[in-house]
Amino acid sequence: MAEAVYILCALTSVACAVLLLRAWKRTQSRLLLWSGLCFVGLAVSNVLLFVDLGLLPPSIDLYMPRQLSTLAAVSVLLYGLIWDAT
Amino acid sequence: MLRSMLNGAVAMGWLACALFFLRFWKQSNERLFGFFSLSFLMQALTSAASGLIDAQDERRNYIYVARLVGFLIILYAIWDKNRGNRRR
Repeated sequence: MAEAVYILCALTSVACAVLLLRAWKRTQSRLLLWSGLCFVGLAVSNVLLFVDLGLLPPSIDLYMPRQLSTLAAVSVLLYGLIWDAT
Repeated sequence: MLRSMLNGAVAMGWLACALFFLRFWKQSNERLFGFFSLSFLMQALTSAASGLIDAQDERRNYIYVARLVGFLIILYAIWDKNRGNRRR
């Protein structure tokens, strides 16, 4: 059950990233670019989540890389919103 | 300690993003921004919750369900937006 949720998290975030970046290509709206990049970071984090809790043994802990990729994703979006989005 | 600090930083970041999108929504009355704001608020709550809940706690899995719901909101928002465009 838990693994299914991790896989779905990864798949939905990849889908969000693809759709947002496709929309950015079509409209060239910078806000869509930053949102898309943010979801790329989230997708990385969610794939790591599945690898960490679903595949790897408990002795290996990927918590830090997961958390850092999420932080990177948030930072990209915030940078875009503050400096560049309009 | 470092873990909870990172969780807090991420939660704060999501909250700030949610507020930006809330403002865009207020200004433009575009539903897409409202959904984005809601989704990022959800991410903020999950980050805060995972900072507060112990790693061994069984309820931890629900955090990822909430995260999934946040992503589904974004997917719905994009679908909703595309549908609106087609109708026009």
